[in-house]
Amino acid sequence: MEVTGADNIASASIGSAQPYRRHIIGLPLQRSLFGLTARAATTIGLPGLSSESNFPARLDENGDLFLDRSQVIALTKALPSWFTPETLELMHTRHADACDALVDATENAAGVAASLNDKDSELFEDLANKMALVLAYGILSKFVPDVLLRALADAGDVESPPFPEKSAGAELMQNTFALSQTCCALNYSPQRLQQEWPRVSPEVFQLVREFCHRQTGFGPLAWDAPGYEDPSYVVRLLHSAFAQVDSEQVSRRFSFSKRTRLVQSTSKVTKKIAALRRLLGLWLDFLERETWYVRRAFYVGMVPLLQQLAARYRQKTPAFQSADLLFLDLRELVSGIADPAVIRTRRHRYMENTDYLSLHGVDPCRLATMLGSS
Amino acid sequence: MSADNSTRVYLGVGAAPGYASGKAYVIRNAEDTMTVPAGSILVMRILHPHLAPLLPRVAGLVVEEGAILQHATTLARECGIPAAVGIRDARNLFQDGAVLEVDGYTGKVIERQVT
Repeated sequence: MEVTGADNIASASIGSAQPYRRHIIGLPLQRSLFGLTARAATTIGLPGLSSESNFPARLDENGDLFLDRSQVIALTKALPSWFTPETLELMHTRHADACDALVDATENAAGVAASLNDKDSELFEDLANKMALVLAYGILSKFVPDVLLRALADAGDVESPPFPEKSAGAELMQNTFALSQTCCALNYSPQRLQQEWPRVSPEVFQLVREFCHRQTGFGPLAWDAPGYEDPSYVVRLLHSAFAQVDSEQVSRRFSFSKRTRLVQSTSKVTKKIAALRRLLGLWLDFLERETWYVRRAFYVGMVPLLQQLAARYRQKTPAFQSADLLFLDLRELVSGIADPAVIRTRRHRYMENTDYLSLHGVDPCRLATMLGSS
Repeated sequence: MSADNSTRVYLGVGAAPGYASGKAYVIRNAEDTMTVPAGSILVMRILHPHLAPLLPRVAGLVVEEGAILQHATTLARECGIPAAVGIRDARNLFQDGAVLEVDGYTGKVIERQVT
């Protein structure tokens, strides 16, 4: 018998020489958003994070993510002594506000994109900065929740972590199953739906489209990887998830609350423990939504702005493709710089990275599709 | 537990309670998520929320990511699916079809060689 120990990958894999994650982001536009996260992180107000150089993450040109172990350690050491009920409440408020602000900016961009003229660069910047802030929280989520959990243990808390009673993923699961059941009731089993899509009845077609619209934001971190904004992806997922599966068995999995309800505390709950638990609860909920916030902001908020911008570029350069904008960085976008030769080079490099494309399921039509599916 | 050369035990962290056994199905890229066999033990780097609809068809989870506070823990607990996290390099350790037992209490994963 061979016994292999496992340690915490969050610490074992962090290093400056080896990527923490390989090939996570391929599009220059998304990579440039990542470049804003260090500055955004300084506004969070955490000890040890007052300077951009303290931010522990960076993304290289290959889309590989690097975490600086020494910075992570410095941050995780600085946090516990800083925790008081007041600072914990402040962290909670700022974090929740950052997420709410991004949701609002997303809806705002979606609402006004069509009537924009010269102000879209301001909207781009505003939306991008809010996305970067939530992305910064996403990086911090790799270790801040663990710090909070340890602080809870140190404070004498013996309860289970405050996992969400119904997480975003669980809700998505339930909604996806409901869609599958509705399609089945309309005589479209997951198999038939996949075989015939998109040549299905208008009612089913509309159902799937509306579902995609509501669930846009769920999907992989990389925007170019297909997600719930794409009806073809959803139809395939329905097949993968629910074909030849007993409906009763699926329903049994939905008894969420019975499994996750916390035991009432018998220990003395101090003000600090209560504040720690409240904040950890927010982080655990955020963990389930961090990708959703930013991905939805891209598809619902930024894509309409990109479409407007692309139309303007086409007035000058008729051959300009909307997807070309994905190969610019944010600075180039807001300043109106779009060198066709640079775009060609970057696109060529992207399309040659077959490891990345295969990992994320990006097919040759994907870039055009993603800018047409807001 | 009996032990011999045909059994390998990997120690991770128990993330969602329960016991499960079944054949490994390794998620290596996006396309793999579209062909998950029913009753399999899903082996992956991390379970993102957008893959939650796949959970009702799987028996157990083996995840490379080591943190106890992560997507896989939340989702697996909600769905009552035994899960072990922190099994480093799991996607290379296990082949599709390998027979695995997952102890979601202790985080132990046992691979039994089928002769």
